[in-house]
Amino acid sequence: MATTQPIHHRELAPQEMLGRSRIWTLVMGLAVIGLVLGIVSYARELTGGMVVTGMRDVGIGGGATWGLYVAFLIYMMGVSFAGITIAAMIRLLKLEQLRPVGRIAEILSVVAVVLGGLAIIVDLGQPLRGLVNLFRYARPQSPFFGTFTLVLAGYGFASLVYLYLGSRRDAAVLAERPGRLQWLHRFVASGYSDTPEERERHDRASFWLAVGIVPLLVVASSTLGFVFGLQIGRPGWFSALQAPAFVTLAGVSGVGLVIVLAALVRHAEHRSDVLTPAVFAWLGKLMLGLLFVYVYFMAVELVTATYAGSEADADITAALLTGTYAPIFWTSVAFLVVPLGLLVYAALAKRWSIGMLTAVSVLVNLGALGKRYLIVVPSQTHGTLLPYGEGSYTPALVEYGVVLGLVALGVLMIGAFMKALPVIELQREEEVGQDA
Amino acid sequence: MRRTWTLTLIVSGLALMAISYFGLAAPWGADSVANSNPRMPFAPLVFVVGVMLLFGSAIVYELYGRAPRGGGEE
Repeated sequence: MATTQPIHHRELAPQEMLGRSRIWTLVMGLAVIGLVLGIVSYARELTGGMVVTGMRDVGIGGGATWGLYVAFLIYMMGVSFAGITIAAMIRLLKLEQLRPVGRIAEILSVVAVVLGGLAIIVDLGQPLRGLVNLFRYARPQSPFFGTFTLVLAGYGFASLVYLYLGSRRDAAVLAERPGRLQWLHRFVASGYSDTPEERERHDRASFWLAVGIVPLLVVASSTLGFVFGLQIGRPGWFSALQAPAFVTLAGVSGVGLVIVLAALVRHAEHRSDVLTPAVFAWLGKLMLGLLFVYVYFMAVELVTATYAGSEADADITAALLTGTYAPIFWTSVAFLVVPLGLLVYAALAKRWSIGMLTAVSVLVNLGALGKRYLIVVPSQTHGTLLPYGEGSYTPALVEYGVVLGLVALGVLMIGAFMKALPVIELQREEEVGQDA
Repeated sequence: MRRTWTLTLIVSGLALMAISYFGLAAPWGADSVANSNPRMPFAPLVFVVGVMLLFGSAIVYELYGRAPRGGGEE
């Protein structure tokens, strides 16, 4: 029986690294406050009914039945898609340069699926009835079926399996050290002892998992785009570009969040030795390619709608460009186009500063959130084919509170993982030797 | 046995997905209200179980026959 590889002296257990971090404690404290606010807001929604939100019936009610929650759900599904895609690609294409961010991407994926699932639940007036009936009656012909079965169950579960199996080796290393979390490390390790056979088996399982995950991801994420793109009676949504644009923007926002999280880990855990500028440059180039494609899709869609769109399409486009939604639209466009310019400059000058990439990533994520909102809402308030007047939708404080609570929950989940297990794979002795 | 169990789970998962999708859920191509319900209630749940079995097979493949703590296999 082989024994577990000893932990390298430079690497500390996660709780030892973060135990001294005041920033981590502060962030977790703020997240707890945010979570409490979210719970209070949701309790208000549950007891007062959906009328306490800003959502109203489409058409006769002059509002939107899908609002901030659905926009948040789509954003989170996109992040999840990109997270697990990066993790799978690292394995399939043997992208060793990106290996240090592999687990960060996996964690992000799992957390984003959980938050996306919760965003659906809070959007339902009767959550329990909705959940039971979905599993009872959902039709395979409906894109919703694919959203729930393939997206939430499929890559939610697949991401969790991927994360769990990948964490076993590090948990086995940490389980050898006495401490408060030793029981957890033993549980996660599940008897892993890092023998050559186990490594080979893990590599083989991870490879086939990745092979299974990638096509699932493309189908599932496109299905989420089809929820909107196949609705022929809803101008603004009905478009062949919805699915590919959804997947591309998902990639942009997900890669951006991986960059932000990697920058935070680099700072909080002092891991500049592993999270090198080269890793960030790689991610920056990936984001540049995806962002370029998305901006192209956006331009094509705008030209089509303004040049040859139907009357209803023209109304929605006018609302976006010069009407009610113009401030959000132009801000989102700026948050996508300016980063594109900065990334192009970085590529030309070959200067990929981590600070710039982090700022760009924050901007593109704000832009992506705005775009998700604009995909969901305007077609409901300005896209009815029946002769209703223009509607309006403004998220209520309750909705902001719930979304804040969801974000806080995500931060707590990531923070808890960081405390329990390494977010960057521990290096084996021979790997440390190679790096030196 | 490891391979047998893993393959069993993979095949079972795929079979459950296919059967629930094409055989138990609402029929394809039928758009009348009478055919809008699934042929078997909770067919979507069967599909989800199939997906979980499929990906759960990776856990079985890695953990099958493990020793309780830190030991080798079988």
